[in-house]
Amino acid sequence: MASSESGAPNGQRAEAASGAAGALTVGQRFDRASDNAQEAWSRTRETVNDIKDRLDIEGRVARNPYGMIAAALGVGYVLGGGLFSPLTARLVGFGMRMGLKLAAIPFLENELRGLTESVLNGAGESEESSEGGERKSHRARGTNKGR
Amino acid sequence: MEMTEQFEKTARDIEERIRPQIEDAKKKVLDLNSQVVSYIKENPGKCLLGALAAGYIIGRIARR
Repeated sequence: MASSESGAPNGQRAEAASGAAGALTVGQRFDRASDNAQEAWSRTRETVNDIKDRLDIEGRVARNPYGMIAAALGVGYVLGGGLFSPLTARLVGFGMRMGLKLAAIPFLENELRGLTESVLNGAGESEESSEGGERKSHRARGTNKGR
Repeated sequence: MEMTEQFEKTARDIEERIRPQIEDAKKKVLDLNSQVVSYIKENPGKCLLGALAAGYIIGRIARR
């Protein structure tokens, strides 16, 4: 009787103990999981904030809004696979042509200026030399006449 | 001489007529520019993501 009396409470106690232990472990696990999740979330936020601070996207956009938009467009274009496409080839060709023209215009201008200067100088020198030659021939004629 | 004076007068009239329109258009373009710049500065993430998406779509279309 005593054993049955004592057994029942013992069994109940054991069940209760095992139930309490199970509830505790689940609770502990839940707490641990939530702690881990919170820690991971805070770390992620810290990392994101750190990256944001380092990249300074807002500052860059404030300083150069159109440039940043153009850069984003370019990155999107490359990600979309438009880098090796006929449109890119056409754009690059047009840009190269324009750049060459723009680079060639000052060069040609300098060359033409130098050429005209040299032509003008050459003409002046030749005129002077021809004038000198005529004088010499006049002198020679004069000396011949004198003779 | 009369022809030249007439041409000058016509050119002056046209200039007087067109100048306010040009000034108005210039003002409108400058206002639009300042509005766009302020919008980009207020919403940098949205604008950058939009530009990225637009570039992606253009790249996809260009690849075809």
